Amino acid sequence: MDIIACIKRVPDTSEADFIKIDPAQRDIEKDRLAFKINNWDEYALEAAVQLKEKLGGTLTAITVGPEDWNEVLRRALAMGADNAIRIDRDVSADDAYTVAVILERVIQRLSYDLVLFGAQSEDFGSGQLGAMVAEMLGIPHATLVTVLEAEEGKVHTQRELEAGTLQSYTIELPALLTVHTGINQPRYISLRGIRSAMQKELQVMALDDPGLSPETLVPMVKLEKLELPPKGKEAELIAGAPEEAAERLAKILKDAGIF
Amino acid sequence: MSGILVVAEHRNRALANVSYQVLSKGRQLADQAQMELLAVVAGSDVDAYAKELAGWADRVLAVKSDRLEGLLAEPCQKIIAHLIRKIKPKITLMGHSSFAMDMAPSLSVELGIPLATDCIDIFWQNGDILVTRSIYNSKVNATYSFAQSETVLITGRVGEFSVEEGGRQGQIEEIEFDFEEESDYKKFEGYLEAEAGGVDITQAEVLVSVGRGIKDKKNLEMVEELARVLGGVVSCSRPVVDYGWLPSERQVGLSGKTVQPKLYLGLGISGAFQHVVGMKGASIIVAINKDAKAPIFSVANYGIVDDLLKVVPALVNKISELKGKTE
Ligand SMILES: Cc1cc2nc3c(=O)[nH]c(=O)nc-3n(C[C@H](O)[C@H](O)[C@H](O)COP(=O)(O)OP(=O)(O)OC[C@H]3O[C@@H](n4cnc5c(N)ncnc54)[C@H](O)[C@@H]3O)c2cc1C
Ligand SMILES: Nc1ncnc2c1ncn2[C@@H]1O[C@H](COP(=O)(O)O)[C@@H](O)[C@H]1O
Repeated sequence: MDIIACIKRVPDTSEADFIKIDPAQRDIEKDRLAFKINNWDEYALEAAVQLKEKLGGTLTAITVGPEDWNEVLRRALAMGADNAIRIDRDVSADDAYTVAVILERVIQRLSYDLVLFGAQSEDFGSGQLGAMVAEMLGIPHATLVTVLEAEEGKVHTQRELEAGTLQSYTIELPALLTVHTGINQPRYISLRGIRSAMQKELQVMALDDPGLSPETLVPMVKLEKLELPPKGKEAELIAGAPEEAAERLAKILKDAGIF
Repeated sequence: MSGILVVAEHRNRALANVSYQVLSKGRQLADQAQMELLAVVAGSDVDAYAKELAGWADRVLAVKSDRLEGLLAEPCQKIIAHLIRKIKPKITLMGHSSFAMDMAPSLSVELGIPLATDCIDIFWQNGDILVTRSIYNSKVNATYSFAQSETVLITGRVGEFSVEEGGRQGQIEEIEFDFEEESDYKKFEGYLEAEAGGVDITQAEVLVSVGRGIKDKKNLEMVEELARVLGGVVSCSRPVVDYGWLPSERQVGLSGKTVQPKLYLGLGISGAFQHVVGMKGASIIVAINKDAKAPIFSVANYGIVDDLLKVVPALVNKISELKGKTE
């Protein structure tokens, strides 16, 4: 089975209390942030590698991004991808549709049975790309997949709805799935693995390789401005060293009749 | 005539909460622009839903077909695409649900129209529609406009728009829709409901809830201890289940359980909306998180900005002390 996995690199803002917006209100200041592979994409890669191990075939990882994004491709190679393609473009100002157009052009030229995306990106969380690319390719899709089994020519999948309900589908290949967290336990990647992946070749494409040009990429949605969220209701903060804060909180809970 | 079209969603014989939320937002946007509000509902038996929707919408389009057993993305995409082409609403609005995540992006490509997902605000500005989205772990708000288009598609974040009384008595129109031959490349096999687990966190008066910030499974021990002295139960956010540290029946949130305990003590949980919709009904919410900008602090009543691994043992001690005094 030939599999394609689309992955991206994101800034890790989950613990950052110092986010600043650049003066032009176009982006956040990123120099103090660490970067990593998008959480959902790690699960997508693991799912792809497991299918390859079981059924044979090839795995190609694709990203649309600038040079630093090679990092996520190296990770994919270390996990077990055979090929890695980066389409060289700074996507920080692109909408989901634009990136979908680029990915569709590249995927269309490859041979594949199954295309995997993450269910959403951590930074913008739009959750759009997978289903958009499927529609452009004209292949069936299922999003938010938490169970995936494959056999010759088809996949059995379950996708997650609210409150833990699952929808079960059998889908003929070629198909596109977006992978949700919890579908597997992504394998640990050793430094040695990443180092040996440094030797593998990355294919870098320019936009015009698949016949695109900046002028043909017209966004559907345009960023007007970024702002820090307005201050809303805030918790009453209990200050002090851990001991002190714990003592005050314990009293509050006791007074509230919790214990 | 251009109006606003709301796509209503239903499951287990009820309209989804998020449908009431986006209906209320849709009503407001329609009133502001003096437009008609339409609602569409599709299914095998939609009469009750249509009546309900008529409380908000000026016109309800009820699409009835046996093909629509369950709410499946493919047949619904065909119906909604057909209606958008026919009605040309200025905006089509739906909740950012699992159903919408499956259907809205492909629908936007099929129709060649702009899409903005998971919006926390939708508003008119000089006759144009703008949306605000919450990005970078809820730490930044981004406002977007749309490319010139007759119509746009927007999904609204679950739990973000308050439900207002509709106070309308709209007309209900039954719509016939001819489906093409069913293709079998994607076959629906049925629904699986979440299995009932050993511990029912929805019954607990006190929940001590842990998130990714717990960092290691072995740290769960001190959390169990805290739950014990508080007479409560341990629950968690999604990553803790993903890592296999706690079983899925302990998960709070959109894809887990909705809880309303007297006390919800969140430890190392950032407060993503998918988590918050499951716990914001708690009477007292306390958050312990080392990131002062974590969004959980805007839903919590009390907060401690510190390392949970230091605060939790101290809290266990202090509570035990106070309990000792009264006993
Ligand atoms: C369709 C869909 C459904 C979802 N359903 C759910 C759901 O039902 N429930 C759910 O929870 N999530 C759900 N999610 C995931 C959700 O988007 C978030 O990814 C998740 O809630 C984050 O969990 P977290 O807060 O534990 O982790 P993170 O967001 O990573 O936050 C960890 C927090 O711990 C803090 N921290 C780290 N170390 C320490 C320390 N030593 N002391 C104190 N604090 C510390 C950090 O500052 C951070 O704020 C869903 C997502 C999708 C797309
Ligand atoms: N620049 C990119 N290059 C390759 N894949 C991407 C890119 N951006 C997003 N994706 C894929 O699309 C998924 C959903 O992203 P989004 O629609 O932005 O939430 C991600 O999990 C990735 O699998």
